[in-house]
Amino acid sequence: MTENVIGSAMVVGGGIGGIQSALDLANAGFFVYLVEKSPAIGGVMSALDKTFPTNDCSMCILSPKLVEVGRHRNIRLLTLSEVESVAGEAGNFTVTVRERPRYIDVEKCIACGKCAEKCPRKVKNEFNQGFSERKAAYVPYPQAVPLKYAIDAAHCIYFEKGKCRACEKFCPTGAVNFTQTETLHHIDVGAVILSPGFSPYNPAGVDRYGYGVLPNVITSMEFERILSASGPFEGHLVRPSDHQEPQKIAWLQCVGSRDIREDAHGYCSGICCMAAIKEALVAMEHAGSGLDTAIFYMDMRTHGKGFEQTFNQAREVAGVRFVRARVHSIEPADSHDLKITCFLDSGELHEEIFNLVVLSVGMEISKETRQLAEKLGVAVDSDGFAATSGFSPVATSRPGVFVSGAFAGPKDIPQTVVEASAAASASAALLAQARNRLTHERTYPDAMPVSGQTPRIGVFVCHCGTNIAGIVDVPSVRDYAQTLPDVVFATNNLFTCSQDTQQSIRQAIVEHGLNRVVVAACTPRTHEPLFQETLQEAGLNPYLFEFANIRDQNAWVHQKNPEAATQKARDLVRMAVARVSLLEAIEPLKIPVNPVALVIGAGVAGMSAALNLADQGFEIWLIERESQLGGHARQVRQIWNNEPVQPLLSCLIERVQNHESIHCLTGAEITAIDGFVGNFSTKVQTHQGLHTIAHGAVILATGGQPLQTTEYLCGQSGRVTTWHELEYLFDQYPEKLASATGIAFIQCVGSREPERPYCSRICCTASVQGAIRLKEKKPELRVVIFYRDMRTFGQREALYQKARGMGVIFIRYSAEDKPVVEVDAQGGLLITALDPILDRRLQIPVDYLNLATAIVPTEGQKQIAQMLKVPLNDDGFYLEAHVKLRPVDFSTDGVFVCGLAHYPKPIEESVAQGQAAASRASALLVKESIDIAPIVSVVDESRCIGCGLCEASCSFGAIRLKKVTGKGYRAENISALCKGCGVCAAACPQQAIDMKHFRETQILAALCAGAAA
Amino acid sequence: MSEGIIKIDKQKTSTFLDKVKEIVPDGNLNLCLTCGACSSGCPATGLENMDPRKFLRMAAMGLDDEITGHPWVWMCTMCYRCTYACPMNINIAALVFEARKLWPRETRPKGILGSCNMALRNTSGSAMGTPEEDFRFVVEDMLEEVRADQPGWEELQAPIDKQGAHFFLSQNSREPVTEPEEMAPLWKILHLVGADWTYSTTGWGGENYCMFLADDEGWKKITNTTLQTAMGLGCKVYLNTECGHSTYSVYAGQKKFKIETELEIAPMVKYYAQWIREGRLKVNSDWNKDLKIKFTVQDPCNQIRKGWGDTLADELRFVTMACVGEENFIDTYPNKSNNYCCGGGGGSLQNGYKDARFYYGRLKHAQIMETGAPYVITPCHNCHAQIHELGEHFGGGKYRSLHLWTIIALSLGILAESERTYLGPDLAEVNLPGY
Repeated sequence: MTENVIGSAMVVGGGIGGIQSALDLANAGFFVYLVEKSPAIGGVMSALDKTFPTNDCSMCILSPKLVEVGRHRNIRLLTLSEVESVAGEAGNFTVTVRERPRYIDVEKCIACGKCAEKCPRKVKNEFNQGFSERKAAYVPYPQAVPLKYAIDAAHCIYFEKGKCRACEKFCPTGAVNFTQTETLHHIDVGAVILSPGFSPYNPAGVDRYGYGVLPNVITSMEFERILSASGPFEGHLVRPSDHQEPQKIAWLQCVGSRDIREDAHGYCSGICCMAAIKEALVAMEHAGSGLDTAIFYMDMRTHGKGFEQTFNQAREVAGVRFVRARVHSIEPADSHDLKITCFLDSGELHEEIFNLVVLSVGMEISKETRQLAEKLGVAVDSDGFAATSGFSPVATSRPGVFVSGAFAGPKDIPQTVVEASAAASASAALLAQARNRLTHERTYPDAMPVSGQTPRIGVFVCHCGTNIAGIVDVPSVRDYAQTLPDVVFATNNLFTCSQDTQQSIRQAIVEHGLNRVVVAACTPRTHEPLFQETLQEAGLNPYLFEFANIRDQNAWVHQKNPEAATQKARDLVRMAVARVSLLEAIEPLKIPVNPVALVIGAGVAGMSAALNLADQGFEIWLIERESQLGGHARQVRQIWNNEPVQPLLSCLIERVQNHESIHCLTGAEITAIDGFVGNFSTKVQTHQGLHTIAHGAVILATGGQPLQTTEYLCGQSGRVTTWHELEYLFDQYPEKLASATGIAFIQCVGSREPERPYCSRICCTASVQGAIRLKEKKPELRVVIFYRDMRTFGQREALYQKARGMGVIFIRYSAEDKPVVEVDAQGGLLITALDPILDRRLQIPVDYLNLATAIVPTEGQKQIAQMLKVPLNDDGFYLEAHVKLRPVDFSTDGVFVCGLAHYPKPIEESVAQGQAAASRASALLVKESIDIAPIVSVVDESRCIGCGLCEASCSFGAIRLKKVTGKGYRAENISALCKGCGVCAAACPQQAIDMKHFRETQILAALCAGAAA
Repeated sequence: MSEGIIKIDKQKTSTFLDKVKEIVPDGNLNLCLTCGACSSGCPATGLENMDPRKFLRMAAMGLDDEITGHPWVWMCTMCYRCTYACPMNINIAALVFEARKLWPRETRPKGILGSCNMALRNTSGSAMGTPEEDFRFVVEDMLEEVRADQPGWEELQAPIDKQGAHFFLSQNSREPVTEPEEMAPLWKILHLVGADWTYSTTGWGGENYCMFLADDEGWKKITNTTLQTAMGLGCKVYLNTECGHSTYSVYAGQKKFKIETELEIAPMVKYYAQWIREGRLKVNSDWNKDLKIKFTVQDPCNQIRKGWGDTLADELRFVTMACVGEENFIDTYPNKSNNYCCGGGGGSLQNGYKDARFYYGRLKHAQIMETGAPYVITPCHNCHAQIHELGEHFGGGKYRSLHLWTIIALSLGILAESERTYLGPDLAEVNLPGY
């Protein structure tokens, strides 16, 4: 490792993984180059309609992250760019990036869309999967970041024929530049994170399904666009051939996955089962009643948090039909409809006609990504995924080059986000000494006091080229603004957002002594922060600003009615002026941060979090209830990829124990936790006494444990064991294995039951691996696994295949007809179960039976949750802030979660989640103080009656009752925790609560002004 | 529940499946996911309450007694449509093949057994037992007849045992024994393209019922004889007559029994296509311009799915369209490598389970009816016979099956009246040779 460590990193790939890594690193004091090969970031997620299991709108939850990246001072976005080579070593790389020309000057482009409007060349819109057309001058999708147009040289008429340039002619800002050329950048960075993502499997080569021949056979990615409100049919559920609404839709699972032939992939893509359920549910919502949906599957793999419940709901409530059958071929029933014949478990051939068939296509690594790996010297496995190790799941074979997301194996969005944060923290640990060296913070002059002053308002009305001025009579709006109360200055600008206009706004503030500013222009969504910054530069508090949206919500939607649009612009300006005159300066809220973290639980997840934060230079208290570190991993033999766990675990424990910044407390119990983000105080009882620890962040890694059961003679027969017990028994008494002829495993013991509806995720892989080890030791042994759905997700599928290859017998059972276990006359076990394939009962004598019991939360999890006021889900696992995009955060700031405490998961996922929690915590701990969004609630104590409705309604613990002598209780704000949602204000029967910047008086003023028209 | 409880022995013993796994180590017979794709696409599913998945599962569970002697193994044509959809690429046909061996040889279906025994009786390889010299006599007799009766063909050749010929041509016994005039169209085609070819007396028989009988020794012997003869004559290409299983038996047998040869083992269709492309076979579809008679094709499993795949299927279509006109060709769906087996393969024409064979063929029949074509071109003798029967049994004669040589010869204007047995009245007089 070099001594000259560079405090910046490069993230390759602008999907959700790359975005998360970039934000984490940039927020933790590192400069980030985010390299994206297309014209905009967003990746696959931007093209999805909804996300499982919550059915959140994909774009709605992604868009704020896109905007944050686009605005981030310490992220430089390189679009249309690809990495050519990486020279140097960990900590000090030089990356060569090839940037293709956009032919649009991004500094000048205002995203008005004139170029696209005038461009005569229509091209298939790849974002809409070819179901619609775009122009050769285009923006990939409406919410794209950067929101800058690009010219697609491959289809541009000018590039084809040397003539046209219509875009250039009509561009109002002169942004089109056909002379742009390819640029090679040589960028020095300390670390590289690869998050190039996956490509959907192309089923065109599978003649049996007729994709490409039968128009109503489509892929799941195509169906996402059909469902999307911003898609080719505006969310109207129709099929491609005749744009009719389908009455019956089928999904075929495992297309291109779990298929070992040359044109497919042996691994499971891990996400398609849930994606199909989601698509079926969303389709039923779109279509209303009467839509028939059927999913044809081999094993439903709903092994993630909340997935099994969604599966149950889809089956039992929504009525999605789940048919366990792989379909041989899709045949045309007529020129539109499709015939599917499947073979049911009942032994019947079932023929059914569908109007639309969706192929649930799997993930694959593209040729380009394989080439990228090769160029960078990063090892990949035989499936093309980056090779990683269980205890360092985001480290590639090349030191200093990290990986996240689907390039490291098939996975869903939450796991991608976890890995992205983990890759960020692994990079941060590497570059810790160079933290804050290359990042910039902006400073502003002190703000002028305005309190008590008469408002002096300046109004700036924007033409936005012809976007606004083409419809709205801008000079008349300006003149009208001048007549409004307290307006002392009004002007109009061609582009109010341009650099020179910022200069003139600052001048106007000084020259006219303005203390309030209104901009009437495009939209606050993209431009409010820019103008607030301009105010700050001129010495005005940024909250003395109001935006009148006269483009997106006026000129663009009332193009056919310019007069009314002009009138509406006047109304909007009048409302903005009324409100701005009542706005107050709001001072930033700062809270000091104690740069110490407390990690509760020293299993693999907790230790990974602790070690990473310690390597980043933070002081850590690691609290463990047991007398030694390691947790449940001490009993685990292998990672799914067959790496032995114990040597790696010992190494991790040793590093933790020897790290000078980690204080380990074993045999320790938490007795109390007080405080809030940045300033916690925790009491810990050990044999040595009571410790009081002050810390700024908490990481919950409290683990889980196997369920104790009495099912299947467990506890009654010494021949019935759970989890790791059987192999320990054989280790201890090898003669028992030597004399055994048959061993069985039963899956889902206590999982996927009404009282514990979730899937415990790791048991299928664990039992299959155990079966393989037994077969390796004793090939002639009969090994039988009774399962409900085999859930060896992702590349773990190879284990399932290996086990079958070795002769392990797999017998599927249903929850209604479980195997029956008895002790036979010889004292062995006799298992009777239905084989659904033969439709006959089998009686199998075995010597031992090992049960894969459910993984349940650890004891004491509830108490910790109560101390920190963080929520648990119905199953008792911690409930994260957002299941998709904030998988290790809580709504409560400063508290993070990882490992089994969050949900059952294998070691490599626990390590990644531990590192992810560290990443999220480091962004907090790295700051001396944190700025809290100052738009918070304020209590007027004189009106408060202490009823407590506000406290009960606040999800963030940001308002609580305090005792006031002689008055009983009064509400008190904890601004550090307040998110400014306003629920308390709405709940308060006394109107004693107001929101800063959204005070009732301010809102009413705007409304009254609006009504005054 | 279909049958009683299955009691598994405590001590695991070697099963039938274990033995097959040794014989077919690359058959993936352990890998079944029980997904049922095989059974959903198998025309034999349901016959004798059996299907491919169940058969494999029974073997996997060691139910050897129930598998042994099960008649389904003769109803399965080993067409590989199951394997074609199997995500684990499991060779179920190999399992069926080995299960046929579980029947004592003399108890196996009489028709297949008899044909195999016939072929082993002498070195001709003919399943009809036609001796070497009888074959020579029939060929020469037929040749004489054509030379005499068909003007312009006085120089026609049908060489036998010609040393150094480029092509070795096999001949299915059906023509020399029952309809010798059907041999002439192919001779004329070969004559027109100037092919240097030969029959042989030894190993001329273009069929192999020992393969269907699962008699490895017999299969090997017949394949070895014909290949050794071709090599002995110094030929370069082993050209199979229009016969699927025979092509497969030589192509797969050569590999299975590791018979060393430099011969190219080729299906006839490939060369038809090549000769048309080279301009040596000047087929023309003008005769059908106004008639607009529709044709479809049958993709023989043994040549397409189990042999040369879509490449050969495309050649079959190319040849067909060249002869009948592109607009008069109607494809079936599914087709090519995913085509339904007609049910005539695997020895089923002689297995004695006629009803099962018709049940099996119902899908093929429906497919053909869907095209509306009155003619199905079948470059395979077993397909030809089965589809001919299906047409009569289900279709009331709505469609007929044709050898490819018939339609090539027709389109060349060289198909004599005597060679039109399989054509309907609509084509009886079309494009007759102008004499």
